[in-house]
Amino acid sequence: MIVQHDVTIVGAGLAGLRAAIAAAETGEKLSIALVSKIYPLRSHSVCAEGGTGAALREGDSIELHAWDTVKGSDFLGDQDAIEFFCSQAPKEAILLEHWGCPWSRTDQGLIDQRPFGGHSFPRACYAADRTGFHEMHTLYERSLMYDNIIRYNEYFVTSLIIEDNHIKGLTAIDLKNGEMIGIHSKAVILATGGAGRLYEFTTYSYTVTGDGMALAYRAGVPLKDMEFFQFHPTGLLPSGILITEGARGEGGYLLNNKNERFMEKYAPEKMELAPRDIVSRSMMTEIIEGRGFKGPYGDYLLLDLRHLGEERIEERLPLIREASIKFSGVDPVEEPIPVRPVAHYTMGGVHANMHTETPVKGLYAAGEVACVSIHGANRLGTNSTMECLVFGGVAGSRAAEFALKNDFEALPKDVVAKEESRIFDDFMGRDGDESIAEIRDTMRSTMESKVGIFRKGDDLKEALRIIKELKNRFNNIQISDKGRVFNTDLTSALELDFMLELAEIVVLGALKREESRGAHYRLDFPKRDDENWLKHTMAYYTEDGPRLEYIPVTITKWEPVERKY
Amino acid sequence: MSLKNAIGLWFGLRGKSFTGYAFVLHRLTGIVLTIYLFLHLAFLTSLTQGEEAYTALIRKTVTPTFLPFDILLVGATIYHGLNGLRLVIAEFGLTRYHKELLWVLGLIGLILWIYVSYLLYKIVVV
Amino acid sequence: MEEKNVVFVVKRFYNDSEEERRYEFTASRGMTVLDGLYYIKDHLDATLAFRASCRMGICGSCGMIINGRPMLACSTQIFDLDSDIITVEPLKNMDGIKDLVADFNEFFEKHKKVKPYLIRKVEKSVEEGEYIQTPDQLKEYRQYALCIKCGLCYSVCAIAGSNNEYLGPASLASAYRFMKDNRDEGGEERLLLVDGHDGCWRCHFMAECSEVCPKEVDPAKAIQMIKRKAFIAAFKRLFRR
Repeated sequence: MIVQHDVTIVGAGLAGLRAAIAAAETGEKLSIALVSKIYPLRSHSVCAEGGTGAALREGDSIELHAWDTVKGSDFLGDQDAIEFFCSQAPKEAILLEHWGCPWSRTDQGLIDQRPFGGHSFPRACYAADRTGFHEMHTLYERSLMYDNIIRYNEYFVTSLIIEDNHIKGLTAIDLKNGEMIGIHSKAVILATGGAGRLYEFTTYSYTVTGDGMALAYRAGVPLKDMEFFQFHPTGLLPSGILITEGARGEGGYLLNNKNERFMEKYAPEKMELAPRDIVSRSMMTEIIEGRGFKGPYGDYLLLDLRHLGEERIEERLPLIREASIKFSGVDPVEEPIPVRPVAHYTMGGVHANMHTETPVKGLYAAGEVACVSIHGANRLGTNSTMECLVFGGVAGSRAAEFALKNDFEALPKDVVAKEESRIFDDFMGRDGDESIAEIRDTMRSTMESKVGIFRKGDDLKEALRIIKELKNRFNNIQISDKGRVFNTDLTSALELDFMLELAEIVVLGALKREESRGAHYRLDFPKRDDENWLKHTMAYYTEDGPRLEYIPVTITKWEPVERKY
Repeated sequence: MSLKNAIGLWFGLRGKSFTGYAFVLHRLTGIVLTIYLFLHLAFLTSLTQGEEAYTALIRKTVTPTFLPFDILLVGATIYHGLNGLRLVIAEFGLTRYHKELLWVLGLIGLILWIYVSYLLYKIVVV
Repeated sequence: MEEKNVVFVVKRFYNDSEEERRYEFTASRGMTVLDGLYYIKDHLDATLAFRASCRMGICGSCGMIINGRPMLACSTQIFDLDSDIITVEPLKNMDGIKDLVADFNEFFEKHKKVKPYLIRKVEKSVEEGEYIQTPDQLKEYRQYALCIKCGLCYSVCAIAGSNNEYLGPASLASAYRFMKDNRDEGGEERLLLVDGHDGCWRCHFMAECSEVCPKEVDPAKAIQMIKRKAFIAAFKRLFRR
């Protein structure tokens, strides 16, 4: 079956929903397909907790927000894009408020803002510690107003159809009955989020497997800066559930086993509110040097919120308290929370410019799946949800304008039938003796131990060898579920296929980048090297693995200087 | 959505909490009272055959054999009435404490039930 | 670490046929029911189908019936359950798709029916800034905005089990969330949508929805408060004539 929609959006998280609304508003007559492999509101965006950054108040400015972001990115962010991003942020925060978002308020009834890591002004708009959750629900509910948004819930996208550098649509499996469909489109927006499930200890939902990145990559679109992976300082033990930076924004302390606020050694000025890469590295240093606590789930440090008092915790960090009690058995009102740095954000992604355009005509990318790049080598907290809003909006209106101006281009012959055969005959027909779970777990532990916060050449080479071997082994997997209906055995195999592809790019990029910048820290090259490495990594698909190229960083007004907090 | 599913949700006890039990009991007592209502009407029709016939019929039911049934009937009436009162109060959004109210009314109902049962016992047996 | 043997009795469903499958394994303290299901999928039976995403109780994917009661699998510790035999079934009042995967389409359709978004006569422009809402005004509805649409309340609702058209606790709570938002001007319009046979008046106040709600939204209270609003509105209409 082939259906036709002017604009198709893949992914229905924050960026996808924002894009759908923008597209629906730009072209009222356009038909917009919103495709997601899960139901509405299940997207990982609901897990965002702490806040959304926007320069709203006197004393703050767009320029200051931009500078904080540039400095946070360790000067790898494209400064034109960052300036644009910061200038649009206040509008988006207000827009969301107008659509019903239950932002936390000041006594005067204005949107309240809290301090956040790396920001020199309290500019994180927040809705308690369920910011992403409320933003998602607000956008989803708003999107229900538009009848021209057609939802394809629980459709798993298997390929993008690109010919002559033009996007023509995509193929997807309807999970409910296993039917392969083609969606014929003038424009496609990727909004599938990051690739955090590459790592073992991660804040990510089970569903965040980098599908959009891998789809685009295989279709010939380059991926940018994939070696930069953010580790959030505070992942809850043992599960890795996120403890928001807002907890430190509200005044929480990080403590080592000597009961010291060790951050004063590493970032005397900003202390716990230094950018995430710095805090995470400091924590790992403490742990490696033996000042961590030992536990059955590995070493950890403590996040102490007790001095905030029950009332403040209950009002501003209720989810953190709930999660700590339910998933770690610790009530932060009574005890400090056990935490360790945890894989949290994919700075890299599908190469896109500040108009969210990829090199392929009609293909756009927004949100975590894209690398615009405003985050450079290290993202500041609050900038990701805002990125989804700003660039989701841009992608939606750009794609809609593109669809208004252009006609449908003919789909290649038999494209759906060929894809159907690839998935259901070739892929599902695999009956080897390798287990999907085992390959996945090996990949994740390899990434965790060898491509983590501290990296070195030998480890990376070894990791690359293991990933390549896993890719070989993957050809020999067994898919036991041979049915068509809701075959999650098949989808987890497809996801693993995507992830292995991405893991290779991350490792290769990290191996080649012989410097330390932002989240990418090489023990064998501990200094930032602007002369040779102030550039973006671009990975292109080839049959023998990724081919890397480099492009320059856009610098407008801020020349790189030493990064101190 | 099957009939079995619906009956399970309306009358089943598995997986329910206290308010759920109250609901189930309310349905059951409601059914009992409805049946009794028809029974009562049937009894009343005997009046068409004269007052004597009616009294004779009623006298038959005021015996120790029927006493347990009467006591259960009173229990059902008291429960259904008091819980109904609770529902009316709660459904107008007049209280947040509907669960506590259930306990209080339950206690009142129990005392009432014992007292009325005692009265019935006196009439029938003594 | 503390361990024990558990048996998962999973109600499997495929192509209209049902069967119960038993899976036995060793669980350690700290393992959730969701971890258990993943253990089964990874090591014992890869064909088992269930939904999961955030594993922190905020996305609403993994609602299922555990030992007879609707719960989120990710938020339920195996060691907290009082039996070592753990039965797992899909949510009720929804059609089955496969195993523990139930069809939520109707559930989401009903949510859409109550117009769950701010209705404004005139929308303020972005340049004019935000609508004013004090912390107290926020508190009026915040509880009802916490609903994660997991469907547990819908699954335990007797009325939803016997009447396909009943809007159900989650959507009614959502309607009430907007009724209590001082920015909303959809008062009468939305009230008409929920004040009917298939709306608030169908509720018989079993209140189990509030008991199973993992986020303490208290949909039962929301529905009763809608009844009150509807009653008062009807009363006023009576005198306006």
